[in-house]
Amino acid sequence: MRRSLILAGMAGLGVPGLAVAAEGAATGGGWIGPFAVIAAGLGMAIASGLCGLGQGRAVAAAVEAMGRQPGAAARIQTAMIIGLALIESLAIYMLVIGIILLFVQPIK
Amino acid sequence: MEIIEHPPIFRLPGIPDPVAYTWLVMIVLTALAFVASRRVELVPRGVQNVLEVVLLQFQELIDDVIGPEGRPYLPLIATLGLFILSGNLLSLVPGMAGPTANLNTTGACALIVFCTYHYIGIRKHGPITYLKHFMGPVPWWLKGPMFVIEMISHLARPLSLTLRLFGNMLGGHILLAMMFFLMGLDGLIGWALSGSPAGMVLGGLGGVLMIAFTVGFIYPLKILVSFLQAFIFVMLTMLYISGAVEGHEAEHH
Repeated sequence: MRRSLILAGMAGLGVPGLAVAAEGAATGGGWIGPFAVIAAGLGMAIASGLCGLGQGRAVAAAVEAMGRQPGAAARIQTAMIIGLALIESLAIYMLVIGIILLFVQPIK
Repeated sequence: MEIIEHPPIFRLPGIPDPVAYTWLVMIVLTALAFVASRRVELVPRGVQNVLEVVLLQFQELIDDVIGPEGRPYLPLIATLGLFILSGNLLSLVPGMAGPTANLNTTGACALIVFCTYHYIGIRKHGPITYLKHFMGPVPWWLKGPMFVIEMISHLARPLSLTLRLFGNMLGGHILLAMMFFLMGLDGLIGWALSGSPAGMVLGGLGGVLMIAFTVGFIYPLKILVSFLQAFIFVMLTMLYISGAVEGHEAEHH
């Protein structure tokens, strides 16, 4: 049920792109551009959402550990920040790809 | 993008902006170090005092992560940290661009780290032993795949170091510019100045709110991110160096 909802939502999001693409093809413009914009936005949304989930789990576990052992709080915090950086870098990859898609536009 | 790529102040003719700003950071840091070390006193005062506190922080961090063997690498680590931190903070001065929001600068820093920690490992353990430590503590039939996986993981390190710093900085700049110029000044304030009565109320109120939000929340957030990214770069550098220095320790127990 939920999966079909998600699929329907993605299809619904794709329709304006198709319309714009058809329009662009009619007027001689490329159809890659609109899809690049959709891909950048959708990709960033998925990446940042899942990155938030992952970071939330990491921070929750770290805070719980700090509550159990306040003496080791400094070391736990350092490890948490490193872990957060490693998780965050996955979303940053998507951000870089999005920036490339939007501003550099390697594929025309 | 124009205002991000070509900041209005401090331009050197014929020289790309990131290089010019890198030189600016170098001049500032060198001048600071020169002023601090011109008359070194036993009881430090002024600039010398501040820089000694900063360096002591780095030294404590190194002692924590690498151990006493890490002391010789203090110059490299502290230089990287101070350069990246001042580059990040320089990009927050209105009208200036930071060198760290450019792929070439961060790539150069990451390549220096990559070459250095492999050099340290090879000098410490010798080339054959160092290559063996890539295979890890696994049975013999797993050593081949393990070696390939370790190679890929080591090659991914400079890539992730580069992209993390670059993406954080550039993404923050684009967010700041979008919020402040496109939505705030150009969009909502422009709507307020266009003369329609709805625009006067909604646009004026929204514009003031947006600018207050940008200056009050996103700008301090960027300052926090600047410190955090410099810390993470330095921390990961120290972790890589400590991995190269320790080498076989994990295999024995």
